[in-house]
Amino acid sequence: MNNQIKNFARSRGLENAILVSILLFLFNLIFPLHDSTLLAIINEILVFLTVFFLFNYIHQFLKSKVDSPLTLVLNGGILAALIFFIVSISKAILGSPDNNKGVGFFNSIFSILLIFVFIGSVDYIFSTFRELFFLRQKKDPKMFFNTMLVFFTLSYFSNIFLLFDSTFDYARDAFYVVTIVLIFLNSLRVAWIAFLPKKQKYYLLIISVVLSILYGLNFAMIGDNNVMRKIIFTFSPGLHTLINLVMIYGSIYLGIIFFTTLFHLPTAEAFDSKSEEVSSLMDLTKLITQVFDFKELAQTITSITTRVCNSDSAWLITKRGKNIELSSVHKIGFVDADRITNNLLGTGENDYDTIEIIQYDLMNQNPKGNEQIYKSIAIAPLKVHGKINGYLFAARYRENDFDQDEKKSVQAFADYAAVALENAKLIEESIEKERLEKELDVARDIQKKILPNTIPCSDELKISALFVPAFEVGGDYYDFFELGNDCLGFVVADVSGKGISSAFIMAEVKGVFESLSKIISNPRELLIKVNDTLKGSLDKKNFVTAIYGIINKKSGILNFARAGHTPILLCSGEKIDRLQPAGVGLALDYSPGFASSLKEMEIQLKNNDIILCYSDGITEAKNNKEEDFGYERLESLVLKNRDKNLDSISNEIMKELSLFSRNHSQHDDITLVIFKWNKNN
Amino acid sequence: MADFNVNLRGVGSVSVIDVKGYLDAHTAPELENVFNKLLDGRQYKVVVNFNELKYISSAGLGVFMAYVETMRENMGDIKFSNMKENVYNIFDLLGFPILYEFYNEEHEAVQKFNN
Repeated sequence: MNNQIKNFARSRGLENAILVSILLFLFNLIFPLHDSTLLAIINEILVFLTVFFLFNYIHQFLKSKVDSPLTLVLNGGILAALIFFIVSISKAILGSPDNNKGVGFFNSIFSILLIFVFIGSVDYIFSTFRELFFLRQKKDPKMFFNTMLVFFTLSYFSNIFLLFDSTFDYARDAFYVVTIVLIFLNSLRVAWIAFLPKKQKYYLLIISVVLSILYGLNFAMIGDNNVMRKIIFTFSPGLHTLINLVMIYGSIYLGIIFFTTLFHLPTAEAFDSKSEEVSSLMDLTKLITQVFDFKELAQTITSITTRVCNSDSAWLITKRGKNIELSSVHKIGFVDADRITNNLLGTGENDYDTIEIIQYDLMNQNPKGNEQIYKSIAIAPLKVHGKINGYLFAARYRENDFDQDEKKSVQAFADYAAVALENAKLIEESIEKERLEKELDVARDIQKKILPNTIPCSDELKISALFVPAFEVGGDYYDFFELGNDCLGFVVADVSGKGISSAFIMAEVKGVFESLSKIISNPRELLIKVNDTLKGSLDKKNFVTAIYGIINKKSGILNFARAGHTPILLCSGEKIDRLQPAGVGLALDYSPGFASSLKEMEIQLKNNDIILCYSDGITEAKNNKEEDFGYERLESLVLKNRDKNLDSISNEIMKELSLFSRNHSQHDDITLVIFKWNKNN
Repeated sequence: MADFNVNLRGVGSVSVIDVKGYLDAHTAPELENVFNKLLDGRQYKVVVNFNELKYISSAGLGVFMAYVETMRENMGDIKFSNMKENVYNIFDLLGFPILYEFYNEEHEAVQKFNN
């Protein structure tokens, strides 16, 4: 219920205020003289409601100005000056109160308008006091203020009782006195003054004394026997009391403000520097999470250190191993900062584990020329996890030493710098990691594009090809070339090494094989030519193993040569053979020895013969005992499954392989190319 | 993680490297360090004793290829000895026996340098 009323009064603040004001206006136009008690009471209530609703509205509106208490004080002061002006002018123009007894129409309107000005001003002034009262209060002081409001109201309405019985004035006086006592008590809540900057305190000191006097004068003039008092008093005795009280409030409050400000002045500077330190630290916290560039942050830290710690210069160095780097300087040259740093740090390591103050002028007796020497320098370590990553220096020309507080804040800034430095490092690392992962993606992409999309197939020659990439991209490659004359060329190769470099070598190898296969129709000569072509384009450590073969699809003759690659498996009936003609891996030997050692092999395929080409990803797959999968397992699998179709054979091999190495990650690409000859020769 | 150990000793004017465990892409840099040390000390006659090596990958093979040329240019060589069959098979598959000298016993390889 209470809340509903409150909400109604607040949400419709302006409408209510206007409505009651109009009512009051009309009422006074119709009844310019309140000669009967009833009229007087109605009028008093209407005035009170106007005051109340207007106060409600203004106080909502003032909420937004709380951030600048000085503006509030000034605004109130301006209205006080307005009241002073009106009262003085009316006194000068209208003369003594006894002259004017006319109650003409214009007089009425004029006095009603004046009354509205007064009500507005008083409401506004009172609202500013209210806002100031609640400013920066830690506990909720609502009770005190509301009690005072109640007594304001009582003082107001006590005038009505006088209408019935003029001996009742002791009650009015009692309320009046209690209200003033409460005003005094409430005026003591001036905590906000402490938080004003030094400049504003000086300003407040001057205006508070002026305004205190002004409010006092207003009180005296309105209480005095003059025309304005008469107008207000005849209009509404309650309002007159109210205005009096507010003027007293103003006088007392501003008087107290004056003295409080006066007592706060000596500590104003210290308070300023403390609050600046706090706000700088808050800014830094924000910066640390936003700025990734350490140098930029270092700039901010040195400039704040200079300002907050009352030093003349500041600089920041970072340390990587024994390398010292000046990250930023403020109000000092790079050369000077470097020289002083070297003087202070010397060659010793971890000299300053905690913050230390150095009397630099004592250390450095012989200044060059008229150079100004720093008297004291504070050195704070940038420490993270017990490791010192740099130092923050704050230096001062003046005689007075860094005090305890300043030391603490230099160290606080150094700590922030340490965290920021660590952050920057972590970000750098994560960017590097991301870059590597992207590189890996590129390598996988290259690999995917290099391998053939379609596998050639015919009635006589069935082919199945399977490729399983390892997590770290390897360099397996296979391809088929239609050579004309019913000949099919094929290559299975493995580039040593992993990652993007082997993916690029693989791309190169593909290019070489693709172009040479069209020109050279002899596998041995082709591999010799490939070896020559690769000369100079591979690192010493890298090599490529390969098998190149040509199958004649009419005659079933297979011709192939092997350059260091795993041997071809030939399954013919119940017999399986490893075909391993001599041959050195590509790019291992560029001498004529490569050609002379390379042998070619020719085989006549029989019906249902199976040929297996594969990479060492299969034979060198490991189990958890670090044993190889080896040739025997592969061979027996092929024999066991030789009557199945080719895809089933590869599936069986892969199934067995993953069972074998289930506790071991696949560390190399797996390539498996199977041919089956289906023709009776 | 499979571990790897490398030890360097001198037998007269010949440097002998004992390799032990698993030589792959992760452990290859350790072996490279030893070879770099040899180059710094102008030691070009090297025998690698494979007696305790269990496994070698292509990256491990790459180490020898990277240094053999320099050794040979300086009247030296890298010779292999005491190789287990499974390790030899890997070398053999790649055709290394054509490019490098393999010995059953370390002293035979050292002997070869001294002749």
